[in-house]
Amino acid sequence: MSVELSFGEKNFIQGGIEQNLRADGRQRLDFRPMPIETGVIPQATGSARIRLGSTDVIVSVKAELGRPNSHHPGKGKVVIYVDCSSTVGPSFQGKKGEELSSELSTALQKCLLGGSGIDLSSLILVEGKLCWDLYIDGLILSSDGNLLDALGAAVKAALSNSLIPKVNILPDLAADEEPEVDIIDEEYTQIDTSSLPVIITLTKVGKQYIVDATLEEESQMSSAVSISLNRNGQICGLIKRGGAGLNPSVILDMISVAKHVSIRYIATLDSEISTAEASSAS
Amino acid sequence: MSSSLSTYAPKKLQRRFENKEKEWIRSDNRGFLQCRPAFLKTGSGNAASGSAFAEFGSTKVIVSIFGPRESKKAMMYSDIGRLNCSVSLTTFATPVRSKAMMGFEQNEKDLSSMLYKALEGVIKLDTFPKTTVDVFALVLQSGGSDLSVIISCASLALADAGIQMYDLLTSVSVARVGNNLIIDPTNEEENEQDGNLTIAYMPSRNEVSQVTLTGEWSTGKINQAMEISVAACFKLGDVLRNILRESE
Amino acid sequence: MEFVNLQGIRLDGRRPKELRQLCAEIGVVSKADGSAAFEMGNTRVIAAVFGPRAVQNRSQKIANRALVRCEYSMAKFSTGDRVRRPKGDRRSMEISLVIRQTMEACIMTQLMPNSQIDICLQVLQADGGTRSACINAATLALADAGIPMCDIVVSCSAGYLNTTPLLDLNYIEDSGGGPDVTVGILAKMNKVTLLQMDNKLPFDTFEKVMQLAIDGCEAISKYIREVLLENTKQLEYRRGL
Repeated sequence: MSVELSFGEKNFIQGGIEQNLRADGRQRLDFRPMPIETGVIPQATGSARIRLGSTDVIVSVKAELGRPNSHHPGKGKVVIYVDCSSTVGPSFQGKKGEELSSELSTALQKCLLGGSGIDLSSLILVEGKLCWDLYIDGLILSSDGNLLDALGAAVKAALSNSLIPKVNILPDLAADEEPEVDIIDEEYTQIDTSSLPVIITLTKVGKQYIVDATLEEESQMSSAVSISLNRNGQICGLIKRGGAGLNPSVILDMISVAKHVSIRYIATLDSEISTAEASSAS
Repeated sequence: MSSSLSTYAPKKLQRRFENKEKEWIRSDNRGFLQCRPAFLKTGSGNAASGSAFAEFGSTKVIVSIFGPRESKKAMMYSDIGRLNCSVSLTTFATPVRSKAMMGFEQNEKDLSSMLYKALEGVIKLDTFPKTTVDVFALVLQSGGSDLSVIISCASLALADAGIQMYDLLTSVSVARVGNNLIIDPTNEEENEQDGNLTIAYMPSRNEVSQVTLTGEWSTGKINQAMEISVAACFKLGDVLRNILRESE
Repeated sequence: MEFVNLQGIRLDGRRPKELRQLCAEIGVVSKADGSAAFEMGNTRVIAAVFGPRAVQNRSQKIANRALVRCEYSMAKFSTGDRVRRPKGDRRSMEISLVIRQTMEACIMTQLMPNSQIDICLQVLQADGGTRSACINAATLALADAGIPMCDIVVSCSAGYLNTTPLLDLNYIEDSGGGPDVTVGILAKMNKVTLLQMDNKLPFDTFEKVMQLAIDGCEAISKYIREVLLENTKQLEYRRGL
């Protein structure tokens, strides 16, 4: 993502952030409007599309029957993979987008799966033998900064859109036999996403930090800290990007700012998701 | 063998953490806030421009630095230097043959990118324009807190290679098991942990160059863990400095 | 398998000579110079065009015309079963090449020497006919980017199953094993720029199937023209003309 800014533009962005009025009229801790569409991919178990300004991401969830890991016989598996489409820009053609893709995939896995965000034991069908595997695939269609927050929100929306079919497990199963199952198509269970954390990235420009940075603002950052928080205000993950070092007290301060912002952000996200669900149902 | 040369080998962990809230004795009889015995050495004397060996308990890492040398022809002109970090694990680094493990390559990639992110803000890249510094880390044995050992060892190796840095980078990881914080966790402890905080810290500048946190934490616990790791990083910084002084 | 029943109705309820529902939208990727989404029934693709701009890789520079590059990729969730394909597998390479050649035929490359145009295609849902949908989306995106073209290219496929020529095959019909003809035409000049067929067909049947595909192309070109016209009107309106 190359942004070439003139000296004046750089000054304008930095000065605006210093004075709490950003180039698009937002304040430092304001998010852009976040329209959500759910059920955009009919062949997936659940899907959502989120737009933050020109940032445009789609996340789909696919549930497949699988075998639990032998180390964790009582837990289902969740895999997150993010792909960066070449429509983001010609610089992402071929294998060049992979670096960003793998960075975002790892970051999402750390932030969302680290805590008890998704109840993995609810995905189990037969202990040690059969479970649901959730494959969460993200696709970035267009990027205007703040990809991680957008992807985190989209994962949450896609999971709450997901309907996992109920399964009948045929009884009288010998110890070493493969369980036989029968998927009931009409009955579904929903995934509980209430404890799934949200990701808030604070981008440090000059001495101030801003949320939901655009691509231009991100090019001026010294460093950025992505913090994932759940409803109870617990921190579920933290990742730092950017070269410049940060004083430990600054990091702690960022955490408290993120905590403060998260209350409003979670409420907005919840209402957006329920609006999207209501409009896709009708 | 003489006693001074005997290497450290932890006994197998006897008990599981049935009650995480209660105090327990760590597998190697350490205190909760005590790091593993460490052995560090610079310059193993090979073709590299700088190298270091680090042994923290059973975690053993070699880092070699090559360069600064001319960037590949295909690379575009750059007025600051390039940093290339690569971490690899030997096949015998883990109890199970590591190549057969799931996500083995991904793990190596993750470690490499974490190492890069930790080092990029510490090295004075503008002192070697148009050239590349390669940092190759080899994990001989993985015994827990691998990333922090790699980072500390890499900064020692960079110093040995004479590459200019703002400060010696030190790194420590803290695990949260139940309500207890334990520093420098081993593999067994990492498997049981409820959360982990790894920081890479520059003691004299009082700056964190890289931090990752996993698991659920309350703000108070983070404060506490941060304090513990910063204090440990200070000590580790002194150790690194002494080793450099002695090696001359 | 019965692809057409006795009443002459196909699996998805269409008649043999019926296209799937078309839906196009221009300007879906705001960061691109030109972009469009194109839907043919359940097949949905997005095209983004970047350029014309300076050639990135100097060794690829062409002194007397523009360099056209094309990349086709499928989203992981685009198919029914989740298959992980690495970027740049053989199938995508082949389709990229086909689309590039087709688009190059209509772009007036000689007007833009020493420059480069990138066409990026992303399949969101694959239900047969992704090739055709991509070409149609690319045409719209190129027009949106304002790149000079001598005509608009449209593409459509047709097949021959149960001794009936069928227009615009979906995935099930496509994998039915019958012959499948994909045609790309320059709509106004009435020229064929793309013709692909797998399997075998007798000469006279081939002509019938090919004619059907061309008829489909013409219907699509009519739709595309409407969309472009509507888009231009919107642009005019926004400028206050």
